[in-house]
Amino acid sequence: MIAQRRSIPMLAAALLLAALGPRAWAAEPLVVSTWGGNWKDTIERVVAKPFTQKTGIPVEFEVGGTLDRLAKARVAKGQPLVDITLTTSHVGRLYISDGLFQKLDMAKLPNARALHKEALRSDAHIGVWAYVYTIVYRTDQVKDEIARWADLWEAKYARKIGMPDFDPSHIITVSALLEGGNERDWQKGQERLKRLKPNIAAFFSTDAQSQDLMKTGEAPIQVMLSVNGFHLQEQGLPVKLVTPKDVGGIVGIDTMAVMTGTKKAEAAYQFINLALSQEIQEQLVQGLKAGPFHTKATVPAKLRGQPGIFTTPQEWKERGYIMDDEVRARTLPAWKEWFNATIVAK
Amino acid sequence: MAGRAAEALRAWGAAGPEEGRGMPVPAVCLAPALLVMAVFALALGALLRYSLFEFIPGSLRTGGITARNFRQLAAPQYLRAIWDTILLSLATTILTLLASYPVAYALARGRRGGLRSLLLVLTLAPFFTGAIVRTYAWILVLGNSGFLNTLLVRAGLRETPYQMLFTPQGVLVGLVHFSMPVMVLILGAGISHIDPTVERAAASLGANPIRTFLRVTLPLSLPGVISACVVVFAWTFSAFPTPELLGGGRVKMIANVVKDLALDSFNWPGGAAFAALALGTTFALVAGFARLIQRLQPAGHR
Repeated sequence: MIAQRRSIPMLAAALLLAALGPRAWAAEPLVVSTWGGNWKDTIERVVAKPFTQKTGIPVEFEVGGTLDRLAKARVAKGQPLVDITLTTSHVGRLYISDGLFQKLDMAKLPNARALHKEALRSDAHIGVWAYVYTIVYRTDQVKDEIARWADLWEAKYARKIGMPDFDPSHIITVSALLEGGNERDWQKGQERLKRLKPNIAAFFSTDAQSQDLMKTGEAPIQVMLSVNGFHLQEQGLPVKLVTPKDVGGIVGIDTMAVMTGTKKAEAAYQFINLALSQEIQEQLVQGLKAGPFHTKATVPAKLRGQPGIFTTPQEWKERGYIMDDEVRARTLPAWKEWFNATIVAK
Repeated sequence: MAGRAAEALRAWGAAGPEEGRGMPVPAVCLAPALLVMAVFALALGALLRYSLFEFIPGSLRTGGITARNFRQLAAPQYLRAIWDTILLSLATTILTLLASYPVAYALARGRRGGLRSLLLVLTLAPFFTGAIVRTYAWILVLGNSGFLNTLLVRAGLRETPYQMLFTPQGVLVGLVHFSMPVMVLILGAGISHIDPTVERAAASLGANPIRTFLRVTLPLSLPGVISACVVVFAWTFSAFPTPELLGGGRVKMIANVVKDLALDSFNWPGGAAFAALALGTTFALVAGFARLIQRLQPAGHR
């Protein structure tokens, strides 16, 4: 009798497992390292869910800041805790410098053939979406239209501007470009940038801080991530995103890469290939308000022509400026040191 | 070493001021503490080791052994961060002491149980909100369109908002608020250990309440004051979220600079060097601070 009682639940469990099929319980999850908040939610909804439906492989996420995750990856070198990493294109260079990303086998990424050339950042990481750092301002607090980067230097904007201090590369490059230089000879823009000091109200270290400064009006003009600007608009804040007429927005590209030493490389390639497909790229544009890389991706009408949304080679060329990833990764420490000593310090 | 420490503890117990207070401590009881200390020592050793590696910009790899990371810390911006940290920590300690002593006194000596309970709840409440929430609350209070400035402008006391956020003063307000619960609890414990009959004896000899407080309670509470000051000073010295959020990048304390170097500039050896320097500075200052205050104590408390 007892044996019979035991055998019933065991039989039920066996039947349940058989019904679910082998993939549901045998597959090990694919682990994706990404940023938290809307980034993770969108990737989970737009990429991970169809990926699991298609392959039966569940997806788990490890979330964190760009550099926290880099530090973790470095500590786990050789036996990575994650299989795919999403990171910015220039920080991707740091991963590559330490051999943390494996060289991509492009034959396993057929969807990459239909991407704008700007997506191909190196032989180890590939762009999945783009955005810009540009001027975003509160239209209820700033009466005159801001149309150019050079406008930020006007005296009427004293103590109105906010900008990131964790990465000053955007404003340093803009200053250099306005003085006829670029990120390589950034020193050309130093004097100009010094003249911007009286107009700076605050520096921020995180996207959340940036948005708070905009909401509270502490810094109603900002050098801001376009994605965050769209997010504020959705929340009903009267902000305008500018496509500067003198120098385009400074382009940021988020990339995906397969970790060296992963045992799930095949699944990782499938995941990345799916993320690069036309359909998923279109959904990513809607979810993140970031620009697609797929040349055939359709962009919603209200986003067409907006900062960071590039759909043609001409738009890529004219409306954005892409820094050299390697120069940026190599020079950022020097930029930070100079910026902190000269611009942040009183 | 454990044996020696146990011996010293036993000797302290035997020579303790109160009869029967000395308890023999078996050496094995010290093992967990020694283990924890060994782990901390190893972590500090790793930090020091990393601070001696050469930083290669644009790469996660490090070069050979160098003293360059420490030499670079002589730059004015880093010295300024250390100096600002010392000043802010000192100011925070003093202001927190002044603000906390009356609260701690009321907690320890208050006659109305309800009031004491309320004070205790109000003191402990900030612990449950977390540093980030508390700091964000100050942004809403101190901001240009925040509570205080709105009040000042509406009352006609100011035409334009008074800049409180992103200034050392704004950071100081946040640090004092952040440190008060700790200071109150340590001071409260110190004051409650003072024998009330001593204060009653002073009163019976004709001393008024103010004189009793100044000549009896305050001197006897000095050990608690010293402990609380040392804890708050060291605690403020390593503050991160308050200067990060209320300083708006303009007020940087040591922890913020370490983060700048290690996380924003990818310069981990530089961050390790600055952290090591900061740690040394903290030890030296806290030791000096404790020694100085010990000298100021009445002979009976040495």
